[in-house]
Amino acid sequence: MEPTTLSRPARQTDEPGALAHDDGAAPPPSPAVIEVRGLRKSYGQQAVLRGIDLTVRRGEIFALLGLNGAGKTSAVETVQGLRRADAGDIRVLGLDPHRQRRRLRSVVGAQLQSSSLPERLRVGEALRTFARLAGDVVDWRELQDVWGLTTLRRTAFGALSGGERQRLFIALALVNDPRVVFLDELTQGLDPTARRETWELVRRVRDRGATVVLVSHSMEEVEHLADRVAVLHEGRIVACDTPARLVTRADGSVRTCFTLPAAAGRVRLDHLPGVDAVTRAGPAVEVVGDGTTPLLVAAELVRAGILPDDLTVRRPSLEDVFVRLVQRTTSGEVAA
Amino acid sequence: MTTATPARTSSVPARTTLAALTGLEARLLVREWAPMLFAFVFPPMMMLVLAGVFANDGGAAYGGADATDYYIAAYLGVPLAALALMGLPTALAGYRERGVLRRFEASGLSLTAVVCAQALVTAGLIVLAAGLVLAVAAPVYGLPELHDPVGVALGFALGTAAMLSLGVVLGLLARTARSAQALGLLVFLPMWLLGGGGPPPSVMTDVMQQIAGALPMTHVTDVVRDAWLGTGEIGRPLALTAVWLVVGLVLCAWLLRRRPDRV
Repeated sequence: MEPTTLSRPARQTDEPGALAHDDGAAPPPSPAVIEVRGLRKSYGQQAVLRGIDLTVRRGEIFALLGLNGAGKTSAVETVQGLRRADAGDIRVLGLDPHRQRRRLRSVVGAQLQSSSLPERLRVGEALRTFARLAGDVVDWRELQDVWGLTTLRRTAFGALSGGERQRLFIALALVNDPRVVFLDELTQGLDPTARRETWELVRRVRDRGATVVLVSHSMEEVEHLADRVAVLHEGRIVACDTPARLVTRADGSVRTCFTLPAAAGRVRLDHLPGVDAVTRAGPAVEVVGDGTTPLLVAAELVRAGILPDDLTVRRPSLEDVFVRLVQRTTSGEVAA
Repeated sequence: MTTATPARTSSVPARTTLAALTGLEARLLVREWAPMLFAFVFPPMMMLVLAGVFANDGGAAYGGADATDYYIAAYLGVPLAALALMGLPTALAGYRERGVLRRFEASGLSLTAVVCAQALVTAGLIVLAAGLVLAVAAPVYGLPELHDPVGVALGFALGTAAMLSLGVVLGLLARTARSAQALGLLVFLPMWLLGGGGPPPSVMTDVMQQIAGALPMTHVTDVVRDAWLGTGEIGRPLALTAVWLVVGLVLCAWLLRRRPDRV
């Protein structure tokens, strides 16, 4: 039971978990690796999750997006069996996270939002020990090499930078060769360069064959990484789809702005199909319309011999959509 | 319900897990020994002072033993209490506070395995610290004659197990390292003063004796000291130590089974 159906533009890949094929045919849905029905969780009197339904399919990067305190961490930690659900049914790879925790732990990897390692523990030592504890199913030296930790192998955890710690945490999440990896606020506190490096690492995790569940409150991160995103607000999923479709569904308004050159004559744009409004402020013009408006406006301007050199197109971002969804939900209009 | 491929099963034996974790904890401890300094310095220092101050005393007040011998034997138990009741809970609560336990749990390691590894490492430290008491006493005062080595070993082992179980209880109850430290100190001080490290029971008031009788440390000290010096029967204090061990283990099991919603 998915809040919205899965439909994603083609991504060329040979992975069995690919979400769409490049031949245009409707792809068969990948098997679900996580299924959640009616998940509820409270802390004392405070309800944090108020009945969540989710399906995560194999091979995708699935993001859970929400404000701080929206219940994202509670949701993923309950799904992993690190917290107990008050109600609801959860299956991860067919396993009950609470009753079959031990079996589940051998096939999932996790980077938790607020976890740590002993300050004096060295990088190589951590990888070696955790790999051993996971049954030596992967070569920890290879993992150390792949994640750029070889030069840091003798460095204590307490001396690592934020980005280095995250690399180590991702590597540790992979020591059991997991089929599902949970990454919670992975790039929090990282500088832009480290953040982008980390995104690349997440893609590599998926490329290695794992399904990734990403928890984030960063719109930019979700737009860059996620195949699908579920927006969690006040303990409920208020929308779930691909980032692109969420944006398109929520608001199709596209703004085309330009400045008329001084010698340009008048040009009429409000008759163009899809145009909702044309606003002029001196030579500055803003045309509001649907997704085809920028092309039609540009064609009309060319036809009229007007070639503005500052034409810009502003499409709504995921952040715009997110803010609107949150405001609508808060004011009682349930969006999804 | 559609699901992807079934999960494989973890096949790491519990013994391997415990050995790996214990080795890791031991290595970390070697690198961060400063917090344990108290447990190594305090007992031999106090033993030297008290055994020296009361060197000319002895007799009935000390169960018929020489005061110096009394304190040397009694102080074998002090590092045991210091490490089990202060070092272990602080380390355990510190792990919880910093999210290390969550990291371990997310990797499939049970809280029980982490607790057992820490207890094993602490047990090793206890043996070393008790050995240090004897090593310091030997050249200064000489070691008293050992009457019942089996009784001493039994009392020391049972006492270590009992105190470690109580230390684990404190560590599981405290939410932060600082609160564990405070709690540990609160428990350790009366045990040290009334349980063998302070004045002999015969010079205590009735109330103090009653309190001392209720403390597990008193029985541990009684077993070790009486077995070493031959100053009394060890059956009763040994049984009482065993009772405390059972109490500690039951509390540990309950706290571990309760498994907090978030470790």
